[in-house]
Amino acid sequence: MGLLAPLFLLGLAAIAVPLLMHLVHREKREPTAFPSLMLLERTPAPFTARRHLRDPLLFLLRALAVAALALAFARPVLGRARALLGGDAQQREIVVLLDRSFSMRLPGRWSRAMAATDSIIGSMARGDRLTLVAFARRAEALVSATEASVLRSALQGLSPSDDGTRFAPAVALARELAEKSEAPRKVVVVLSDFQRSGWDLSAESRLPAGVAVHPIDVSGAASVSDRAVRAVTVRAVKGSGEGSTRAIVAARLSNVGPAVRQIGVRLEVSGRVVQQRVVDIARDGATAVEFDAIPLPPDAVPARVVLANDSVSGDDAYHFRLQAAPPLRVLAIEGRPSPFVSRALALNDDPRIEVLVRRAEGATAADLVGRRVVILVDGAFPRGLGGDRLVQFVREGGGLIAALGEQASARTWPSAARALVPGGVGERRSGTMALGTMDASHPAVGEIGSGALLATRFAATRAIDTTGGVVARFADGRAALVEHALGAGRVVTMGMGLDGTWSDLPTQPLFLPFVVNLTRYAAAWRAAPVAEAIGARVRPSDIAGTGASAVGQWAVESPSGERSIVGGANAPAALELTEAGVYAMRPRGVPGARARLVAANVPSAELDFATMDPSRLVTAVLGDASRDAAPATPPAEPTPAEREARQSAWWYVLLAVLLLLLAESVVARRAPAPSRVGV
Amino acid sequence: MTDRVRLDPATLVRIGNLELVARWVVEGFISGLHRSPHLGYSTDFAEHRPYVPGDDIRHVDWRVFARTERTYLKTYEADTNTNVTVLLDVSASMGYAHGGISKLQYAKLAAATLSWFSRRQRDRVGLVTFAEEVREIVPPSARHLPHVLHTLERATARGGGPLAGPLARIAQSQQRRGVFVLLSDLYEPASAIARALAPLTGAGHDVIVLQVLDAAERTFPFGDATTFRDLESGERLPVTPAAMRARYLAAMDAHLTAMRGALSGGRVDYHLIDTSHPLERVLFDVLARREFLRTAV
Repeated sequence: MGLLAPLFLLGLAAIAVPLLMHLVHREKREPTAFPSLMLLERTPAPFTARRHLRDPLLFLLRALAVAALALAFARPVLGRARALLGGDAQQREIVVLLDRSFSMRLPGRWSRAMAATDSIIGSMARGDRLTLVAFARRAEALVSATEASVLRSALQGLSPSDDGTRFAPAVALARELAEKSEAPRKVVVVLSDFQRSGWDLSAESRLPAGVAVHPIDVSGAASVSDRAVRAVTVRAVKGSGEGSTRAIVAARLSNVGPAVRQIGVRLEVSGRVVQQRVVDIARDGATAVEFDAIPLPPDAVPARVVLANDSVSGDDAYHFRLQAAPPLRVLAIEGRPSPFVSRALALNDDPRIEVLVRRAEGATAADLVGRRVVILVDGAFPRGLGGDRLVQFVREGGGLIAALGEQASARTWPSAARALVPGGVGERRSGTMALGTMDASHPAVGEIGSGALLATRFAATRAIDTTGGVVARFADGRAALVEHALGAGRVVTMGMGLDGTWSDLPTQPLFLPFVVNLTRYAAAWRAAPVAEAIGARVRPSDIAGTGASAVGQWAVESPSGERSIVGGANAPAALELTEAGVYAMRPRGVPGARARLVAANVPSAELDFATMDPSRLVTAVLGDASRDAAPATPPAEPTPAEREARQSAWWYVLLAVLLLLLAESVVARRAPAPSRVGV
Repeated sequence: MTDRVRLDPATLVRIGNLELVARWVVEGFISGLHRSPHLGYSTDFAEHRPYVPGDDIRHVDWRVFARTERTYLKTYEADTNTNVTVLLDVSASMGYAHGGISKLQYAKLAAATLSWFSRRQRDRVGLVTFAEEVREIVPPSARHLPHVLHTLERATARGGGPLAGPLARIAQSQQRRGVFVLLSDLYEPASAIARALAPLTGAGHDVIVLQVLDAAERTFPFGDATTFRDLESGERLPVTPAAMRARYLAAMDAHLTAMRGALSGGRVDYHLIDTSHPLERVLFDVLARREFLRTAV
């Protein structure tokens, strides 16, 4: 027999009450009224008589009633989990896979899992060995022991994490442990809420033959109710001042369970509440909330969108980094002055593009410093830059857009730069020409739509002698837009110029997105995420934006204040995010360096609380053996709380209390009634 | 008498209406007496009235018939009705009860019953309640029965002191001889009680003493060592009943024996009443014994 609330046994101390009352109250009770003391004499009671119980049977009944009442409140559970794991005397290797993913924070799940684990530990026989494996996205063997006290000690320090669920690592670890063990019986117990989103088992996720699997579902029967901030986006817009940038923060809120009304949402920046909103969220629905534009700081600051708390903590706040993205710096080289490209790029907000315009004959290598992309607007080659330097720029990760227009000439392009243009600079061909086909799925052009671009007419074109990497072709089949990689960089080559000499493309509305898309593609630019999911691995260079400054070791402080080192020798190259909040990374040995922030949140998939049938896991890990081993795999064992609820033993104990009190009443009545006075 | 249903005193108390209870009890025990147990009476001729069919011819005045040839009956009335006064002790000790009704409740029932019974035989009834001094007086009168019953209902147990003082004042206030019924627990030495009654007996009154005791006072059933508190004086005394019981019972026996001896002569009729006994049975014994005494005298 077990007890769900053993602390109530402290109530047994109340047994002393009747005894104390006998010893103490006896001397203090009301005197016996009597008509006259004329015939009485003083005869004090001997002290020894006070130590004797007045009525042992009455005291016994009262003590039993108090003890039974304490037992009823302690909620006794009959039977043990021994039956779950089998009751024979063979030595067993027990592996308990305990799910500690975020979804285990839902009310009741963790306590049920802990109680079930404790029950399993209590059911161990002599010689049994139990290995406690905690798993979420990863699995870790916490302790392996034969002593219950050691196992319980390890269990006490556990709590649900912010991480997502993955079954495969846990099963793989269980397989490894089972294979190592020489015990005649091997049992794997899976304690989980069996979240469907955590399913990642494959044909390789199999346990050795002869291993019994017992899934214990701790999700409970109660419906789930949870509100969460699922995602946050930060959109940069131009501010009213020169060069100022503002941000519009939008959040997506979800609600699992009954509809909620008038719930508060607030935006916090650096710990201060900046704006608040009140929203309604439909039953099992979602909604979006957008805050007014706020100034975007040049340096990263921590921010979060917070929803009013509910029963599940941890997903009510979404942490993110608020920072103005560094501008995409571009060098535009023109043979003849043309305002179209520079103006179009300067209009873009996200990302902000900073354009340095140089004439072909005036450009130098110094102009390349800090640039991500070089655009040859009309094909004129910057001789002052040099072919080798430009090739080196691309090989190191830079981007080049070579629009071979009117100013392009095979004679002016140095041989060192021939690697930049497939087949070299082609001949100029007069005659109206339009684009014939275009790869609409290519990121360089896909977002702008091919219709308007295909309608553009070009008075002259230039041939590109290549067959690979063609993004668009002219109507006569020749390559019109080609891309290829060179070293770490990219080169986009076009058979027409962007200066407006051969076509009116620069005056078309699509010119701006077309040029911006090409520039972003050539620069391999991607919007830095404002937040990451827990479990992601982040390199310092990913946050810094430039690889050069991210070299060396970085000191990392986690949201809970834990410190670690990332980068360099003898340290992991990337930071693995394990808890929700904002991580701060600072370069070691650089005094006064500003921290680079990484925001981490609960994986979105983990917030999908749909569960699956635990037998599915049994079938997956046992394969064909699951059919044979079906009798050995009982349905999910109820937790002690569930068994207690079914047994309702405390009702019977309360009934016993009632009977004891009735007996006490009968016995008490047979005792002489105290004297009383009345008229 | 033994064939009748005995009336439990506790049941009578719950009825509440003293007059009804008194009538009920009287009707119960009177049928067991052989003759009217008049406490004291004399009858005289009152008048003649014409005979009507159905009248007992034994009451026909044949002398008048001989002279006038008309049939008349002789009628009588009690012209010397006795004063019957109940002296009810309402001291705090009379409020004692051990599981049943209190002594005062029992005494009230007895007083009401005797008053009603006396009035039934056309005696004048009165009531005096007293403790350390006289509390209330209802002078004897043929019309005072309701007043007596009302006063009985209002009586409560409190205070207490020697009987001598109140009884002396009562004796002084009585101009006419009569019968006094004293209801008390008599927690005084027998000699003191006899002296206290002397003014009444000396004045020629008949005195019936009914000593009312609870069963617990006679058996002392207490078990635990405890402190006993005197209901009248408030004095406290630590007592171990187990050690005290034998001595107490002996003392009580001696007290009652002394009381019986001191009050057995002269014009005093002494009775001991146990509140656990049926009231009509007790009164039957009292009245039957008095009838025997009167007949014997």
